[in-house]
Amino acid sequence: MAVCVLLRCASANLTQALPRLSPSNVASPARLLARTCFKRNLTVTPRFCSALKYTDKHEWVRVEDGVGTVGISNFAQEALGDVVYCGLPEVGTKLSQSDEFGALESVKAASELYSPLTGEVTEVNHALSENPGLVNKSCYKDGWLIKMTISVPEELDALMDEAAYERYIRSIED
Amino acid sequence: MSLGKTPVSVVNLGRIAYRSALQIQQHYIKQHFDSSSQIPNTLLLCEHYPVYTIGIRRAQYPAEEEQRLKDLGADFFRANRGGLITFHGPGQLVCYPILNLGCFKKSVRWYVCELERTVIEMCSKFRIKASTSPDTGVWVGNNKICAIGIHCGRYVTSHGLALNCNTELSWFENIVPCGIVGKGVTSLSRELGRDVTIEEATPVLLEAFSKQFSCALTEAQSFSDHTQQTVH
Repeated sequence: MAVCVLLRCASANLTQALPRLSPSNVASPARLLARTCFKRNLTVTPRFCSALKYTDKHEWVRVEDGVGTVGISNFAQEALGDVVYCGLPEVGTKLSQSDEFGALESVKAASELYSPLTGEVTEVNHALSENPGLVNKSCYKDGWLIKMTISVPEELDALMDEAAYERYIRSIED
Repeated sequence: MSLGKTPVSVVNLGRIAYRSALQIQQHYIKQHFDSSSQIPNTLLLCEHYPVYTIGIRRAQYPAEEEQRLKDLGADFFRANRGGLITFHGPGQLVCYPILNLGCFKKSVRWYVCELERTVIEMCSKFRIKASTSPDTGVWVGNNKICAIGIHCGRYVTSHGLALNCNTELSWFENIVPCGIVGKGVTSLSRELGRDVTIEEATPVLLEAFSKQFSCALTEAQSFSDHTQQTVH
């Protein structure tokens, strides 16, 4: 299960780096990994999957050990302003991809949050009830919102990687 | 970047119950997600019967508080907007822009700031010096003249602003308005020492809005105009 997820993540992250494949140079996924990851320290552990994937609504998800951690991007927290309240779901809530799972309040505006994946909420960041500003100060780390199981791993493939998300933001800002 | 002015329809709902206005807002929000609709950006104007409303931060307003306020003769609602407790009632111009921020700028922070600037500009036409503060809303000194609280989902905004024209301000004494202790409320009438009605304030607000948001306002005859157009 872990190896399958590893290879799937690898292929998702490598689609831009891979040369065009013709029948003569088609290689097994393992050989492709070795060939194109020469700049990385390649370790065959689930940590390889901890690259962030993004939705077009500016949530990010990071997968580690089959659990997805969800937060909002730096672009999103800047567009919101200082977060004063996080309305988050209860543990056990079942979410489909794009379901509304909560809201963040800033400048007297309640902005909805949308689930990047289908799964079940396993953990909620309770530090945010005392310190909602963590969403602004540390949106990729201490300001995480929820953790969830991943019922449909294929959904990750359709999300944007960091480079695609950067391009997406630039297109919005123009 | 759109070079022309974004069209926005203005719908004046008149005096209407808060609950009914919520339903009408939902109708217009739904229009934004219905691709066959030709009525996207809309500005709803109305005036409510006495009602206290709260936003998504509900913990500080338990059932006892709700009952206390209802016993005073007002209605009570929990809305999905930002902001804490406020009062809406006769003499207060309430404006609900149901806009797709994709037509403007996809930032809630920017949107709220533009709403504040709109009201400040409008007050200046009445020669009232209004300003912003660290607390969202529009202030004349330490007194809030206009409350703001909005909701944004998929870049479509709802709820909006509430500007005191000749509102009976004693209704605010029953609450800590917007949760801000030590500050008061005011109205156009109180600041000018004369009666300023919603009817007088509305065109001034609309002009400031169209200027601030660079949009072209067209007045719809009524809500029923829009509902008739969407009947299949």
